[in-house]
Amino acid sequence: MTDNLSLTGDIPTVGPDENQTVAPANRRVTIWRLIIIGLIIVFVGFLVVGLERTNKSDWRASGVAPDFTFTTFDGKTIHLADLKGKGVVLNFWASWCEPCRDEAKLLEQAWQREKGNNIVFLGLDYLDQEHAAQAYLKEFGITYASGPDIQSAAARQYGITGVPETFFIGPDGTVKGYLLKQLTSEAELTGYIDAIRPQ
Amino acid sequence: MIFDVGYLILVTALLLAVFGVIAGFWGGRQRHPSLVDSSFHAVYAVAALVLLAASILWYGLLTDKFQVNYVWNHSEKALPTFYKFSALWGGQAGSLLFWTLILSVYSVIVATMFRRKQLGQMPFVNAVLLITSGFFLTLLVFAENPFKQSGFLPPDGQGLNPLLQNYWMVIHPVMLYTGYVGLAVPFAFAMGALFSKNLGNQWVRTVRRWTLIPWVFLGAGILMGSQWAYMELGWGGYWAWDPVENASFLPWLTATAFLHSIIIQERRGILKVWNVALIACTYFLVILGTFTTRSGIIESVHSFARSSVGIYFLVFLSISIITFLWLLFDRLPLLRSENEIDSVSSRESAFLVNNWLFTGLAFSTLWGTFFPMFSEILTGRRISVNAPWFNKVNGPLFLLLLLMMGVGPLLGWRRTSAEVMRKQFTWPVLGAVLFAGIFAYFSPRLYPTIGLSVCVLVIGTIIQEFVRGVIARRAVTNENPVAALFSLTRRNGQRYGGYIVHLAIVMIGVAVIGNTFYQSTTNVNLRKDQSVSLAGYTLTFTGLESEHTSNRTEFSAHVAVFGPKGQSLGTVSPGRNIYDKTPDQPTSEVGLRMSPGDDIYVVLNGWQDDGSSATFTIFINPLTVWMWIGGIVLVLGTLICIWPNPARKEERMPAQAGALADTAA
Repeated sequence: MTDNLSLTGDIPTVGPDENQTVAPANRRVTIWRLIIIGLIIVFVGFLVVGLERTNKSDWRASGVAPDFTFTTFDGKTIHLADLKGKGVVLNFWASWCEPCRDEAKLLEQAWQREKGNNIVFLGLDYLDQEHAAQAYLKEFGITYASGPDIQSAAARQYGITGVPETFFIGPDGTVKGYLLKQLTSEAELTGYIDAIRPQ
Repeated sequence: MIFDVGYLILVTALLLAVFGVIAGFWGGRQRHPSLVDSSFHAVYAVAALVLLAASILWYGLLTDKFQVNYVWNHSEKALPTFYKFSALWGGQAGSLLFWTLILSVYSVIVATMFRRKQLGQMPFVNAVLLITSGFFLTLLVFAENPFKQSGFLPPDGQGLNPLLQNYWMVIHPVMLYTGYVGLAVPFAFAMGALFSKNLGNQWVRTVRRWTLIPWVFLGAGILMGSQWAYMELGWGGYWAWDPVENASFLPWLTATAFLHSIIIQERRGILKVWNVALIACTYFLVILGTFTTRSGIIESVHSFARSSVGIYFLVFLSISIITFLWLLFDRLPLLRSENEIDSVSSRESAFLVNNWLFTGLAFSTLWGTFFPMFSEILTGRRISVNAPWFNKVNGPLFLLLLLMMGVGPLLGWRRTSAEVMRKQFTWPVLGAVLFAGIFAYFSPRLYPTIGLSVCVLVIGTIIQEFVRGVIARRAVTNENPVAALFSLTRRNGQRYGGYIVHLAIVMIGVAVIGNTFYQSTTNVNLRKDQSVSLAGYTLTFTGLESEHTSNRTEFSAHVAVFGPKGQSLGTVSPGRNIYDKTPDQPTSEVGLRMSPGDDIYVVLNGWQDDGSSATFTIFINPLTVWMWIGGIVLVLGTLICIWPNPARKEERMPAQAGALADTAA
C-alpha cells in the first residue's frame, strides 16, 4: 500500500503545464488517499476483531486441524491427512506429566471400546525421554498409536500450552472440540467422541 | 515500600513525558525558547526516572524480592546472577520497561547531540520520542505494572524460562530491542521535519546515520536470534518464519529499503514522499510487531502471556498512523520531486527496483504473518501459513534482490551507456557464468546453481569495485595497494562500507543456500561404541555423563566424529539440561562442530539411564557457518559506513579517487 504513496507525491508534479494537470491530479491524489486510508482502516479493523477473538475464544488451533506426520515408538509412520474419513482423538502427553497418568486409563479404555467404530486414537509424546515414555506406555498398557512429537512440531502447530491436551478431529479434518486439561470422566470423553463419529 | 516508590516513579515519568510533549509541540510552533528548553529537560528527566525504575526492578531481581510478582514469576534463588540480571527482559512487564529504558537512552543521546543544532525541528523530535516513551509508560502504569506485589512473601520464585537461560538469549533481546526501539529515532526526525516544514536535505543526512545504527543492531539481533535457534532449539534450522521472527524482520526490510532510497533523495532530490512513508512504515511495523508479540493475537512460540495491552497498542497505532497521514497529506506540496528518473539503465532505477523488491518482501511477509488471522475472521477457519509458503514467495524475491545488489552499484547515475555497461559487467558476468558451468557439472541442481552464481556475480562486482578504486587512488596518490585500499575505504566509508555490507549479505545468502538445498539428516538409536555414517562422516557414540549444577542437571553424550578418510575430527557433545523447577521443559544443547565447509550438528533426543544407548538426530549443514561470519562482516561494514569521515569535504568532490570508478555520466 505504501507503494502507491510514492505515486501521490511524484506523479502529479511532473506536468510542466500546471493549469492543465492540477485538476485531474488532485482527483487522483484524493482517490489514492482514500484507498490508503481505507486499506489501513480495514487492516486495523481486522486487528481489532482478531484481538477481540483472541481475548474471547482461546489462543489456539481452531478450524482445520494442522497436519502432521510422526513415527510411533514401534516404528510406524502416521500421517494425519491419511486419516480423513475417520474421527481422530489426538492426545498430547508426557511421561513426566502427573495429570496425564490420571487420564491414561480412560483413554485406553475408550480406545478399546471405539476402535471398531472408525475412531483413531493418537498419542503425541511432548518433550520426553524415550525410555521413560516406553515405561509409561507399558505401565498403562497403551495400545493405540503413540510416538514422540519430534521438535515439538505438532505441539507448536496446535499451540498447546502444556500437557495433557486433547483435540478431537472430525472425519472432515476439522477440529470439532478440544480439552485443554485432563479428561475427568468417561461420559465427558464419549461426548467429545460423539461429535467426531463418522456418519 | 521501595517497589511502591518504583511505581510512583513510573507515574511521574509519564506525567513528565506528557509535559514534555506539550512543551515540544507548543514551543516548536511558537518558537518559544524556554518551552523548547523544557522539551529537552523533559527528555533528560524521563530518562533518569526510567533508569531509576529499572534499577529498582534490577535490585528486586538480584536480591530475590519474591513479593514482587514479576520477580516471583521470572526468577528464583538458585538462578545464576547473570540470568537474574537478564530476567529484567525475560517477561512482559520487565521487557516493556526495558524497551522504555532503551528508548530513553536513545532520546538522551539525540537530545544531547542536537542541543544546539537544527533547533527548528528538535522540539518536535523530542516530542515525538516522548510520545513513544509516554505510550510505553502508559502501558507500565495502567496495564503491566512491573512492581505489582502479591502481599505475601513466597519462599522461592518460579524460575526463568529455561529456553532463555542461554548466553545468546541474554544478548539477543538486547540487540534486537536496541535495533527495534532505535528506529523510533529516524521516525522522530522525519516527523520533526514534517512538523517544522524543514524538508530540505538536512533531515535526510541526519537521519541516515540514525537509521544505520539501529539497523545494524536489528540485523545483528536477528542473526543472534537465528544463532540461538540453531544452537538451542535443536531442529537443525535457524529461521522458521515464525510470527515473532517476522515481527523483527519486517522493520528491517523497510529500513533497508529506506537506507537505499534515501541515497537517491540526497543525490537527485526524488522519492521524497516515498522516503518519509518508508521510515514511517518502519516505525509502524515496530509498533505493530511489538503489538503482535505482546497481545497473543498471532500464535507463536515466542509470544508472551496474553494480556490486556493489545488494545492500547491498537489505539496508539491508529492515532499515530492518522496523525502521520494527515501531516503527510498537508505537506505534500513541500515534498515535490526536483528531478525525474532519466533512464531504465540508471542507478536510480536500480534503487527503485530494489525498493519494490524490499517492499514486496515486506508485504508478503506481513501478509503471511497475518493471513491465519484474516482467514479465521473471514471464513471461520484458521489457515496456517508455514515456512514453505514464505520460502516459495520470498525466495525468488531474495534472489532478485541479490542480483540487484550486483547490478545496481555498477550502473551510473542518470543513465549508463552501452560501453560503460560492457566495461562494468564483462568480468563479473564471465566469472558467474564460468562458475555456473563448473558447479552445474558437479551438482546439477537448478536453484542452487542460479543462487550461487548470482552470489559469485555480486562478489565479482564488489572485488572489481575495490580493485578499480585502488587503482584509481594509486594513480592519484602513489600509495602502496594496501594503504590505498585502506584510505579508499576510510575516505569513502559510505560507499565501500556499503560494499562490505553487501559482501556480508552474500555470505548469509551462501549459507542459506547451503543449508536449504544440501542439508542431510538422519535419526538414529546408537548403542555404545556403535557408529553411523552420514554425508561422508562417521559418528560413534562413546558414552554419556551427567552433572548437577545450581539449578539443573546436565546430561551430555559424547560422539566421536571421523572424516571421509577415517581421520579423527574430535568429539561433539550434544546434551540436555533438565531444570529443577521445570523438568517438563528440558532444553537441548546441540553438539556442534563448525567448519567453513559444513557443520556437524548432533541433537541428543533420548538415552538409557545406564548410558548403554542413546537416540540422536544428526544434521550435516553445509556452509552454515558463513551466516555467522556474514553477521560479523555486516557489523564491520556498517561501522565503516557510519564512522565519521576524516575528509568530509573531499567526499563531495566528484573527482576524488573513489568516485573515479563511479564511471557513468
